[in-house]
Order: sequence, then C-alpha cells, then structure tokens
Amino acid sequence: MATQRIDQFAKDLRADTKAAVYDGSKKGHEKRTSVLFDHLPDANRLRVLAGEIKQHVVENLDTYLPQVEAALQANGVKVHWAATAEAANEAVLSIMRARGATKIVKAKTMVSEETELAHFLEKNGVECLETDLGEFIVQIAHDHPSHIVKPIIHKNRREIATLFEQNGLGAYNDDPETITRRARQHLRGKYLAADVGLTGANFVSAESGRLVIVTNEGNSRFCLAATKCHIAMVGIEKLLPRDRDLGLFLNLLARSATAQQLTVYTEFVSGPKAAAQPDGPEEMHVILVDNGRTTVLESDCREILRCIRCGACLNVCPVYRQASGHAYRSVYPGPVGAVLSPLLAGERFPELADLPKASSLCGACNEVCPVNIPIPDLLLRLRAKGKREKAPLAAVGSPPMGAWALLASQPTAWKAALFGGKLMNYLPTKLLPIPALRAWEAKRTLPAWRGGEFRAWLKNRPKK
Amino acid sequence: MNLAHRVLPGPDKRVQLMATCLCDAFYDDVARATVEVLEYLGCAVEFPEGQTCCGQPAFNGGDWPASRKVVRHTLQTFAGDVPVIVPSGSCAAMLFHGAPLEFEKEVDLPAVQQLADRTWELADFIVNGLGVTTWPGRFDATIALHRACHTRGTKTCDSAIALLNSIPGIKVVPVGEVEQCCGFGGTFSVSFPNISSSMGELKLEHIRAAKPDLLVSPDMSCMMHLSGLAQKEGHPIKTMHVAQVLRDALKNGKLL
Amino acid sequence: MSTDRETILSHVRSALAPLPQRAALPDWEAELVIMRQARGNVDTWPLFAERLRGVNGTPLTAVADLVTLLEKGGWRHGYCDPVLWPKLAPAFPATFKVETVFDRTRVDDFQFGITRATGAIAETGTLVLTDAGTSGRLAALAPWVHVAVLSRADICVDVPQAVAALPRDPNVIWVTGPSKTADVEGILIEGVHGPGVQVALLLD
Repeated sequence: MATQRIDQFAKDLRADTKAAVYDGSKKGHEKRTSVLFDHLPDANRLRVLAGEIKQHVVENLDTYLPQVEAALQANGVKVHWAATAEAANEAVLSIMRARGATKIVKAKTMVSEETELAHFLEKNGVECLETDLGEFIVQIAHDHPSHIVKPIIHKNRREIATLFEQNGLGAYNDDPETITRRARQHLRGKYLAADVGLTGANFVSAESGRLVIVTNEGNSRFCLAATKCHIAMVGIEKLLPRDRDLGLFLNLLARSATAQQLTVYTEFVSGPKAAAQPDGPEEMHVILVDNGRTTVLESDCREILRCIRCGACLNVCPVYRQASGHAYRSVYPGPVGAVLSPLLAGERFPELADLPKASSLCGACNEVCPVNIPIPDLLLRLRAKGKREKAPLAAVGSPPMGAWALLASQPTAWKAALFGGKLMNYLPTKLLPIPALRAWEAKRTLPAWRGGEFRAWLKNRPKK
Repeated sequence: MNLAHRVLPGPDKRVQLMATCLCDAFYDDVARATVEVLEYLGCAVEFPEGQTCCGQPAFNGGDWPASRKVVRHTLQTFAGDVPVIVPSGSCAAMLFHGAPLEFEKEVDLPAVQQLADRTWELADFIVNGLGVTTWPGRFDATIALHRACHTRGTKTCDSAIALLNSIPGIKVVPVGEVEQCCGFGGTFSVSFPNISSSMGELKLEHIRAAKPDLLVSPDMSCMMHLSGLAQKEGHPIKTMHVAQVLRDALKNGKLL
Repeated sequence: MSTDRETILSHVRSALAPLPQRAALPDWEAELVIMRQARGNVDTWPLFAERLRGVNGTPLTAVADLVTLLEKGGWRHGYCDPVLWPKLAPAFPATFKVETVFDRTRVDDFQFGITRATGAIAETGTLVLTDAGTSGRLAALAPWVHVAVLSRADICVDVPQAVAALPRDPNVIWVTGPSKTADVEGILIEGVHGPGVQVALLLD
C-alpha cells in the first residue's frame, strides 16, 4: 500500500540527523516543563488566559490593525502594508533603494522565510546576511531551517565545521566554542558595514506601538546598534492589545521556547533612536505582512493565528521527532506547521494537504501550547477539507470509509460481519488484498477475531 | 474539554453500555468485564443491540459525512437519558468531543450534544459518576498504566490510578516520557506505518525499563498496537484493560 | 486599484463579518505571573544578585572588585560613559586605558564597556538599558565585557512591575546575563554577538 510522503521521509532519515532532532526536542521539552511549573503558581491557567487574549486580538484585527498603525506613526515609524510575499519583498527593496543602500543584516524572522526575502534581495544586487548563528549556517549551507526556534537542530558539529572551512572561515575545527567565536568575529565586521538592519517582531503592542524583539545572541540588538535604518517585517497577527499583556506573554514565550525565564535580550522598540544616542537607526519602517493570514482568518482554523512561534509543540511532538522539520516541505514544520502551512498556501492547499494527516492526534501539542491552540481539532478540520476537496496527497494510505459507514449503520449487516470475520482466524491474512490489513501486519500481529462472542455471552448467561 | 455537566446515574443506576467496535471484534472479555464490574456496583446495564461504532475512524480520516451517518445511527441506538458507559477513552472522547465538532453546522447538533452529556469513560464513571474511590479484592502485580492520549483533559487516568493503587497487591510503577504517544492513532497506524511503529518501539522501551508484570490501559486500541508490535518482534508483553483488572481483583477476593 | 492597506483591511473585515460575536478580552491579575520566590517583602538587591548569578552574570558592589575582575581577565583597554568616569577613575590603576569616546572603527580595541543601567528586575536578574541612559548602544554591546552601573532604588521586583515602568524611551532593552547560543548541538556557548561577560555594578 502506498504510504504517506512524510512517513517515507522519516524512514529515509539519516540516523545521526534523527538522533540530533530527537535529543534536541526532548531536552527542550523537559526543560520547559520544569521552568514553567517550578516557578509559576498556575502555568496552565496562564496558557488559557494567553489563548483568550490572542483569540480576542485575532477576532478584532479590524480594530487593532488601524490602532497599531496610528500608534506606530505617532512614534515616528513609517508603516507599510504588504498583502503578498512579493509586496513585502518589494517594500524592503524600495526602502533600500531610496537610501542607496546595498547591504542589509537581518535577524531571525519567520515571515522573511515565508517571503524568501534574502534570496530576492540577492537577486536584486543587495548583500543580505543572516546574523542569527543557526540561520547564518543555514544560509552558507544553502539549506533550510528545520525548527522555528532552533534552525540547525538537524545538523551536528562536524557538518558545521566542514561548512565553515568551505566558506573561508578557518581550517576544520568542530569545537562549538570555536565555531561560535569565528562567527562572532566574521559577523561583527558585517554589522558595522551594513546600511540597514532587518528584524521581525515577537509582539507589537496596539496600545503604544512598541515592538518587542527577543533574542539570546544579541544579533537583532547589533542590527539596531550598528545600522542607520531599521526595517521590521511583522505578520498582521503579531499584535497584543495592551502593554501590560506583555507581562504575561514575556513570562510564557521564553519559558516555552528555550526554558528560560527571559531570553538574554528583550528589546522594546518604539521608534528611531533618541536624538542624543550616537548609535542606532535614524529611520524606522514597519511592514505589516498578510501573505495568506487573511485566508487563515476566514477559515474555520483561525485559532492557529494565536501562535507566538515558541516551538514547544515541535519539541513535544512524537511525529516531528521521528520525521524532523524538513519532512514538512514548508517554512513551518511540526504541529503548528501542519495547520498553518497548508492554510497559508491558499489555493495551493492540495500541495500540502498531507501535512494534517501526519499526526496521531495525541494532543501533546495543545498541552504545551502557551496560547492553548486546539491543534488536534484544527488538524481534523483540515482533514475534512482535504477529503471534501479530494486532495490526492491527503488520500494516500487512507482506507476508504464509505463502505464501512454503510456497514456501521446497518446492525444486521454489522452482526453478520462480526460473525463472518472469524474466517480471518483461518486465512493467511497477509495474503488478503486489503491494503490496510497488509500495512498493519507488516509491523504487528493481529489479535484473534472474536466477533460475536461478547453478544453471545450476554444473551446466553444465566438470567438473575 | 468541558466535562462538567454530565448526566449522573439515577437511584436505579440504569446505564447503557457501548462496548466499542474493537471489543465487539477482538476483545469480548473487556466488554464482559465492564458489565461484571458495573453490575457489581449495582448498575442495571442495558446493551442496545443495534450498536456498531462511535464513528471515529471516518471522523479522523476526514470523511465527516460518512462519520455523521454512523453517529446518527448511534444516536438512535442509544436513545434515552441514562448515562452511556464506554470502556474506551477514545470512543468516549469521540462522543463528547469529536461528534459535537463534526456536527457543529448540523441541525441535529442538540441531539448529539445530549448524547455527549451522557457519555462517560468507565474509570471516570466509577470514581466521579458513582463516587467509588477504592476497590476491593486482590490482584498481585506490578502494573504500568498506559495513559492513552484520548484521555488527555479528562479525569480517566487519575481515576484509574486511584482505583488501581487502592487494590491490595497492586504496585503501580511510573513510565518514562509518559506524555509520548504509543503511535496507534487509528488509521495513522497504517498510513504512517514507519513513524507509528517507531513511536511504538520507543514506548515499549520505556515500558520495559519500568519492569512491570502487566501493562494496563483504559483503551484497547493502544494495547492492540503495542502488543502486536511486541509479539511481532518476538518479545510479547502482557496487556489488560482496566475493567479486566478490576473484575479479576473481585474474583480473586471471592467477591464475584 | 486598491492599495495593499485597503486590500488587507477589507479581507480582514470580510473574514470577520460572519462571526456571531467576537472573543472578549479577559482581564488578569499580575499575581499570576510573579514567580513563587519573588512574593512578599523582597530585598531587591540580594534577589537580583542571586538571579543574575543564575544566568552566569556577575553582580558586584564595589569598584575595586570590578578592577580586580578586569585585571584577572586581562581586560585593560575599554570604554566608560564620560558621566560615570570621574566617579570610577580613582579606583583604576595606570595600567588601564579607558576611553570616554567609543570609536566604532576600532570596535575590537575595547575589551570592556561601562555604561549606565536605568533599572533592573530582581526576579529575573535583568538589567534595563535605555537610549536616554546608555551613552552608546555599541559600547554596551560590542565589547567582551559589559558593565552596567545601577542604583538600588532603580531595581523593581518583577516583570509586570517592569512592564508598567517602561519609560517613554524609543529603545528599552532588558539584558539578562551574557549573550549566548545553543545552536550547535544544543551546547550552551556564551559570548556570541554581544558580551561574554555581563557585570552589574551597584553604586549608590
């Protein structure tokens, strides 16, 4: 029987890659659990609250978007809107061209992965350098990130050392500290030579227009200390209603993502630098990006827009751990990706219609989600969509249910099948042309068929 | 999941039993043990003969029209207002969570909700429906409890552990990485067989490391998958349903 | 032809139009997010110092101790905020070269940077820097050692308090320990783009 692509990917995954992904995910999950529950009196209540706040934002974007635009403009920020990936990339390019800028350093932002910004800028003669260590390594490897927080969870030190050697970053040395120091030295000069710094935003307060950008490396801070122009690409759903809500979300984000109370750098950016400050951007732009988010908003899966990109769901997901991020063939892997990627694809949903099937619906993702997204329910909705739209990728490996439904709504036929199934105990089931049965028996034995036994016992037992 | 408003048994303790299609086909002793346990607790158990399946396989596969057809049949079969007891976390969850989801745009949603409000998984019913928190008899074994995923958000596993822990002779041992799924996932087990069996093997590793005599679960689907894997690789494990342990404890204590 | 702004907003409106009602904004008590140990009457500096040590930062209370630390590390060439320098200079021996202008063309000359913190958060061991208080963003970020000078009165207890106290400054940054990454095989390495040594010097 044909099996799903993601299953095949998992089967073919190199053992050392699988081990790296598994260990990294497991560690991330375990540490998260302790840092949330040891420190905070009622962490689960916080997740529910945060989910309600985000759901409120998502369902009131028609109010909050104009509000945030006004707040940003009042802070001296130029606001741009980009309905598509192309528009977002063009907006960045035209800001650069207006400044005569040819060098940009960028911090990690998943939106820019969606739009493939770096590739677009390079094609248009702009040097665009990733500064997050993991993303920098992905860039020089011409690879793709495989986790939304830990981009090179799938790589080991030997691969990185070879990569550095091939890219003129010193003779082969796979000591992690040496690798990090070399990247520090190399990127330092790049920051200082760049014209523009580009970041995303983890949150934007609709009340004050403050952008909140968090990192551990200090790379986004360096972008905003070394360059003269700041561009922030922000998905339209990244808003929070009030500044005070940051107190809640900042307590959830780092704990969920990297098991820290706070990341090393939590930066609140309200506008270009203060006049007396020698370093930093004199000009600030925010590009509010749609790129399919309004399609998600329209769907019956809009809860996924609550996502704050922490990666906790990836870390706990048993399927992600087996398959790794690249199996999902899209910017967002793991449980969040299985919902978001097919939806962001809009009309190209069929190309990713198998992603929602890659789940045993165990629900561990929802349990760890800091905004309580009911991911299994959303996966189920997307499976219904895949079936309705007859998406071939979704149908692979799925036993047809029409005949079964008929059987299960006709008690006489059902009872006959219960009895008739006993034949299976006498047949070489491995040879039966039933794909599902074969797939089962390739890995597991089947229990003895005992259809009708319970009903017979009930009927025949001595009456009281 | 909001399970706060479920129908409690009346003074006559009349209940309906949904045996589940899996027990109907493979695990008749689990359904039998469920009846014996409920009757021991003074319940009058009705088994609506026309029952077939809760509709979960088609629901999970995305064929909601097919699933709804089966659920509608189930609604008819279980007409009434007494609690419906299900010896399966996943079938119970299908009725109180899955069915309302796939019927949210249907005119017969109220009927589906009515059934949802009457549906109880067995261990949850014993502890929180009947108020029974300790179990008599005897059962000498070191037990690992498999926390079937569809019991997430419910009181089933806590109820099962409370009952098991109270039985003289039982020792419940913890299992590592308890939140990781066994890999069954319904049709997932056949459309993603590699991932499903890798997950199962990891689960078996953790279980074996805890050295239990017996693996117990509120859900036979997980047990079918894990015991099938274990047997295929030549190292079978012993599995039982919670109902069977409770029934056997009574028998050992000469209470049944 | 509509602008992207009009396109996006009209899509948002039509997507939300069918909703019978919109999810309400819940209120929440700050109590919920205060860490267990930061409750009650808290002596802020000792808690701050403990938490800072927990993230591998270095709390100090005397300039002499700072000098000792810098000497031990072999870091004798650095930068200091000119407003702070008169107060600190007497403790620094002649072997040190401390400049009061940060020259970004010689970024690697500066082994340490001393700047002012405008506040701190005790429960997390966090330093609060602002554009108004920091004489130069690069001076606080680029050198291997960053020393943030703060006063006891500026330390607040917890994150909600610190959010409420966010000043009207275009750039506020919370710094919690030295910069770090675990990108390579999950192994923690300190000192990536920012400092590898983060010092908080209490000077009242």
